[in-house]
Amino acid sequence: MKRDLMEILACPLCKGDLTLEVFEEDEREIITGKLFCQACNETYPIEDGIPNMLPPDLRD
Amino acid sequence: MKEREIKRAVREGYAQIAKQAGSCCSVGGPCEATLSDDIYKRIGYSDEEIMAAPMASNLGLGCGNPLALASIKSGETVLDMGSGAGLDCFLASRKVGQKGFVIGIDMTSEMVERARANARKGNYTNIDFRQGELENMPVMDGIIDVVISNCVINLVPNKRSVFKEAYRVLKPGGRLMVSDIVLHRELPAAVKNSPEGYIGCLSGAVLKEEYLDAIRWAGFGDVRVEEEAAFPLDSLIKGLQEPAISKEGLSEMKSSVFSIKVSGTKPAT
Repeated sequence: MKRDLMEILACPLCKGDLTLEVFEEDEREIITGKLFCQACNETYPIEDGIPNMLPPDLRD
Repeated sequence: MKEREIKRAVREGYAQIAKQAGSCCSVGGPCEATLSDDIYKRIGYSDEEIMAAPMASNLGLGCGNPLALASIKSGETVLDMGSGAGLDCFLASRKVGQKGFVIGIDMTSEMVERARANARKGNYTNIDFRQGELENMPVMDGIIDVVISNCVINLVPNKRSVFKEAYRVLKPGGRLMVSDIVLHRELPAAVKNSPEGYIGCLSGAVLKEEYLDAIRWAGFGDVRVEEEAAFPLDSLIKGLQEPAISKEGLSEMKSSVFSIKVSGTKPAT
């Protein structure tokens, strides 16, 4: 996930802002981390560079 | 089938396709026809476009190239709904250039992984892929210039909610450019109710008027069918279980399945 594109991201449920926490990043993108929506109290994981923004009931 | 069951079946079906890296719409087996470049030319991709995209991004799953009519300009932000392995995103990336961005959203993790791997391999710096649901996109309101989608919305049970989301994320004056499969007549019940048919882009397809109404209902103006063509059905129905349909039913189906390219605009005010 590209850091520049963070501002376009929104919570899929409430469309509100997300807070980013980065665990691992290389020169190109964020590899591992999480996105948190305070309004929904929901966390969306970033793994292998891909944010999983599926609503919770659709996740595996 | 219930909506959640359909989604699960579709996701599992496309995860398999992503892993097999090639076979197309029907889960019953690869459809050779759609794997060839020839078909891609027929549905509107140029030689140059076929050559420009990473080979691994072309899984042969599309039914038409929305880019052919999308008139994407340099510097624009493009969103691809149901980006799969990323083919259309890579083509859009060249058009928007370094000042623009392309975002691909797909609900199947295996597809998003492939797309991201392709982007890294090809050194695409202006594309980002996210795993998400088209009815609930993780994208802010009013920031996209062009929403594209290539033969995906038929897979989503609730089409209205997809177009409503497309409308929400577009800027005022933003464009919707989608290609998809639609019907001129309802499908036989045996096909409509089969999960294989759903994954193969058939069971989820709706009547053309219903499709266009869903786009208008979402708020889009100037909704136009830019192109319409009979769809090569043989490749789609291989995955269907026998004895799903009679010979008569099959020939009736062949005359009722079409691929269309549709455009619409979010009013500027």
